[in-house]
Amino acid sequence: MALRRVMRRSSITVLWGLLLSLLSLGCSHTNGKEAHLTLAVNAGVEGDALRAAAQDYQATFNVEITIAEFPYANLFEKELIDLTNRTGAYDLIMLDDPWFPRFAERGLLTELTPLYERRGLEGPDDDFVAASLALCRHPYGTGTLYALPYVGNSQLFFYRKDLFEKYRLSPPETWDDVLTAARTIAEREQIYGYVMRAQQGNAVVADFLPLFWAFGAEMFDAHGHPTVNSPEGIAALRMMLALGAYAPPGYVSFNADEVAAHLLQGTAAMSINWPAWIPALSDPAKSRVIGKIAITAMPGQKEPGRAEIGNWLIAIPRGARDPETAFDFLLWATSAEQMKKSALRGNPPTRVSLFRDAELVARYPSYPVQLHSLQTSRPRPRTPLWNEIENAFGIYLTKANTGELSPEEAMNRANAAIAEILQRQQ
Amino acid sequence: MRRSTTHDRGSPERALASCSPDSPPPSLHLSGIRRERWVPLLLLAPALIVLLALTVYPLLYAVRVSFRAADDEAWTLVNYARLFTDRFFAEALWHTFVYAGTAVTVEFFLGLGLAWLLDRHIRGRSLFRALLLIPMMIPPVVVGVIWRLLYNPNFGAINGTLQQWGIDTSALVWTASPRWALLSVILVDIWQWTPFMFLILLAGLQAIPQEPYEAALIDGSSAWHTFRHVTLPLLKPAILIALLLRTMDLLRIFDQIFILTQGGPGFATEVISLYIYKTAFRFFDFGYAVTMSFALLLITNLISLAFIRLIRAEEGLA
Repeated sequence: MALRRVMRRSSITVLWGLLLSLLSLGCSHTNGKEAHLTLAVNAGVEGDALRAAAQDYQATFNVEITIAEFPYANLFEKELIDLTNRTGAYDLIMLDDPWFPRFAERGLLTELTPLYERRGLEGPDDDFVAASLALCRHPYGTGTLYALPYVGNSQLFFYRKDLFEKYRLSPPETWDDVLTAARTIAEREQIYGYVMRAQQGNAVVADFLPLFWAFGAEMFDAHGHPTVNSPEGIAALRMMLALGAYAPPGYVSFNADEVAAHLLQGTAAMSINWPAWIPALSDPAKSRVIGKIAITAMPGQKEPGRAEIGNWLIAIPRGARDPETAFDFLLWATSAEQMKKSALRGNPPTRVSLFRDAELVARYPSYPVQLHSLQTSRPRPRTPLWNEIENAFGIYLTKANTGELSPEEAMNRANAAIAEILQRQQ
Repeated sequence: MRRSTTHDRGSPERALASCSPDSPPPSLHLSGIRRERWVPLLLLAPALIVLLALTVYPLLYAVRVSFRAADDEAWTLVNYARLFTDRFFAEALWHTFVYAGTAVTVEFFLGLGLAWLLDRHIRGRSLFRALLLIPMMIPPVVVGVIWRLLYNPNFGAINGTLQQWGIDTSALVWTASPRWALLSVILVDIWQWTPFMFLILLAGLQAIPQEPYEAALIDGSSAWHTFRHVTLPLLKPAILIALLLRTMDLLRIFDQIFILTQGGPGFATEVISLYIYKTAFRFFDFGYAVTMSFALLLITNLISLAFIRLIRAEEGLA
């Protein structure tokens, strides 16, 4: 009896002990090096470059670096949940620039200027492309610095120069030129004149905004009210539908992969695309159009053409355990020397000097065009509600492309939906 | 289980009766009994704490969140009010019902037919049975990717085959057509989950004893009458369980649609769980996302309750 009781008591102690040790296991930390950093990166060529840089850094400095890699679709939620709850899991985070306002507005990022000042520096050097650095400030362009630009993407216009030469078409300067070329090529060749991403959400909005801006439309007026249903906006959508007539069937469900497939297989003549696809164009394993595609800046219409910017930024979460070490790494990774290595790993830089670097230009002949495109690029509207606005806008743009709604009706409904989103948050 | 606990706890009388002469005085022993009463609780405590921490607390917290707007701490009903004005919510809910209703109906009839066919002694029966189960074994995400490639209007196998047969496929864009997209994603679900219906119904069929059939045969009942008046009534419990499980599963469909269409084109295949996901993790509006989840929970519960009532009634009859 007594023995049973003792055994029972000891088994309870063991159980509790086990539970406590399990709990404490989750909190324990061991590291061999002096400092430790954890980076949240995008699974893709951008994250790969930062991972490689981190390995170089570990080899040189007494810092241990852990990489937490997430697919694009999950990175935003992981980071926002972690930073909102201040769990301190990450010391540095990669951000796609449209996410930045949400993080900055909520005060989730560490201000960088004091860290510069502690190192006797005023701030980032002039070599950074102004359009890229502007994304890192909140409010946009003028406000406090919370991040540094790492990958300098902006949209580019891809076209089949062999076909343009064959039909004596000059490189497209306006969207009217694009439409004429699409019609000419589609009528005489067995291929589609134009291909675009028209899947609702991010894809269709990204491929539509350059048209929208070129036609002189704006998403918001000076008071922040939505104006997507302006006559200019509707005209831009009509142009998109006109181009859609020369696009492959089912283009309303296309995202980047499908667009690239058509371009690389030589089944479409023109498209808007991101620099990440440039290396594939000259890869014999993927491309049937080696040497046939030219890259140019975004066509204009009423206004000069402007591409959408899409940079990857690196920021330090507010309340990071060791912001000084994190900032040292950030400065190092965004230095000209390291960014050149990143460029050689396939990421467009955010520094002017590198776009003009002889070795890089020899390897990436489109760099001068990319620099021009980046310098004249425009960001998506800087609002913390962008994801939701983009979603609503995208749904109606796709519905216009499927023929469910007329361009006027689509833009009117999009405008009403955006107004509702803004109103709800007030 | 019940017997062992009564034995462990023990009534005071029995504890006293079991006292040996050299056992401690009764007062001490009583406190021992009291302590013993706590032992099961203490043993259960770690599990209970984990359970409370992982299920009850989040549930209560979710209720709290649903009564909160954005970053405001105050209690409010705005999220619940929005359910009734949100066009996207209504449309997504409608798509969910169409999806679940169509899929469960088709899967049921196909599953029943297959089960009926393979319940008999035909050659290669076990091979057919094994082959039929394959789609169910593939992860839904993989199924989504496979069908996305099959459906691709330009490079996909379906249109490619049709073209080889000389059929003009320029208008066949499957998941890219607002009219056909929902049907296309339902087709994928039917392909994947009919085997599940088949499996449960086959088990049900095999559990039916032979005697009623023999009796029906002696009475000269036709095949249809035997099926209608013998097989169906005896299969009813299995049918109800299969329908209940599939319906609950279909109401929360997410992965295949997420991979196949992302809810598009436009909004044509957006179902409620996809809209909840976007609201929570893309727009970061957890209050409204949780509110919609509760609405879905309520609907699922009501439907399940109806099914369970039917099952109970059936058992009562039996």
